[in-house]
Amino acid sequence: MLRVAGQEAASVSEADNNNQSQTNDPFEPLRTIRDKYLDAMAKTMVEAVNTESYAQATGAMLEGYLTATAPVREAMDKSMTQALQQLSLPSRQEVAALAERFTNVEMRLDDMDAKLDRIEKLLGRDQPAPPPEAGKVREGGAAVKGVHPRSEPAESGSRLGARGRFVRKGSPGKKRS
Amino acid sequence: MDHAVVATEAWAGLAERLQLFTRVLTTKAAIAQTPKELVWALNKAKLYRYTPVVPPEKRYPIPLLLIFAIMNRPSILDLRPGHSFVEFMVGRGYDVYLLDWGVPGWEDRHLKLDDYAVEYLPRAIRKMKAIAGVEEFSMLGWCIGALLTTIYAAMRPGEGLRNLLLLTAPLDFSNRNGLTFARWTDEKYFDVDKVVEAFGNMPGDMIDYGAKVLKPVENYIGNYYRLWDKLDDPRAVESWQAMNTWVTDNIPMAGAAYRQLIVELYRNNRLMKNELMVRGEHVDLGKIRASLLTVIAEGDHITPPCQSEAILAKTSSADKELYRIPGGHIGIMAGSAAHKTTWPHIEGWLSARSR
Repeated sequence: MLRVAGQEAASVSEADNNNQSQTNDPFEPLRTIRDKYLDAMAKTMVEAVNTESYAQATGAMLEGYLTATAPVREAMDKSMTQALQQLSLPSRQEVAALAERFTNVEMRLDDMDAKLDRIEKLLGRDQPAPPPEAGKVREGGAAVKGVHPRSEPAESGSRLGARGRFVRKGSPGKKRS
Repeated sequence: MDHAVVATEAWAGLAERLQLFTRVLTTKAAIAQTPKELVWALNKAKLYRYTPVVPPEKRYPIPLLLIFAIMNRPSILDLRPGHSFVEFMVGRGYDVYLLDWGVPGWEDRHLKLDDYAVEYLPRAIRKMKAIAGVEEFSMLGWCIGALLTTIYAAMRPGEGLRNLLLLTAPLDFSNRNGLTFARWTDEKYFDVDKVVEAFGNMPGDMIDYGAKVLKPVENYIGNYYRLWDKLDDPRAVESWQAMNTWVTDNIPMAGAAYRQLIVELYRNNRLMKNELMVRGEHVDLGKIRASLLTVIAEGDHITPPCQSEAILAKTSSADKELYRIPGGHIGIMAGSAAHKTTWPHIEGWLSARSR
């Protein structure tokens, strides 16, 4: 529920622009009336949603929805599980269990990475990473589409890959994003 | 005849505005464009290092780790080129890292705040320190990210945290009358177990709805007429679209973490009462010794100022500062004035503590 209402930020970010007077605009009086009306309505609505009765009403609506849809959800889950079984496909629970196991393996790899870091430090070979060069592929750019960091977390996140000093045999090196 | 021409032109102008309005609403802006490199990943979490633009000898040696909320994209910290906190800090010579929690899947519904604060976060920090080749670091947490960094700072005081920056941090839930969320999620009206049981994770759209309804007229009506009014200003449109792109990119919150937030914090205020237990350990805010900057948005309706003030008295930090700034929960960091107010203040505070 603590979601950030970013739209209010948009209003903050642009509020200064609103003050620009628009002379000779025939719609300006209408706009002023509209703004005053909406301001008044905004205050009323903020007060309304901040009441016990609103909390009670939304709680009751949610409760009603959850109660009404529960049998449907259960039936769907059951039929889906049966259908997947008949098709020899894993169920959602099985896939989730597999994902959890993957995460555990990733953690083990991360533990090993930490130990390697400590060993390297004890050997006195620890040096800060070289700075990434300019012009590397940007996140969100077309070139990174299809890059799945999770596919090789140990490599992309490894002490060796990240530092760029040693690259494990057969490794493609560190991922760029 | 003249009237007909004027009417035709007016109609054409209106049609053009409608087209532009629709295009802005239905397309995404390019956000989070500052170059970065993926340096670590675990499950859905990813640690990025932003490409430094300042030569090493002029760079601050203490890296800065950014932590945002678990139910929003962290791209708000790097909204758009020319108006990005990340870009600003990188340009000032900081070695900036960002921990992106990612989008929890159904398989992550059991993740708790515990997992984020003392499993994922310490691992990412270890990696960051190894890459930077330092033992100390600074950490900036925003919204729920500030809650997680506070828990981490209290539970791992000896792991090199030098500077802790908390932005609009929801930590104190004692003033229940001042918290609309607390009223809505009161156990009299809201069965959190039933919700989590039904959905697994708290759906992003529901979280988004909860936030927007705090100011329904502004968010559901005012926001759009504001865009309509400014359609002739390309910079304003660009800014609006970038923010809208971020706002409409909703992600769910891990079910167990959501339940914990409601039950242990909103309802029982366990962190401030020094009663919160994380993985069997007591979270003692008195153990926080790092230099502390708490930033409060005076107009914040999501995390009202009363939620962030008490932390200062609870920590053992010898160096602490409270910075109040006019603006909203997001506006103080992503609004048009942020680069003149919040960012320089944060940078100035950090600069003196990063050598």
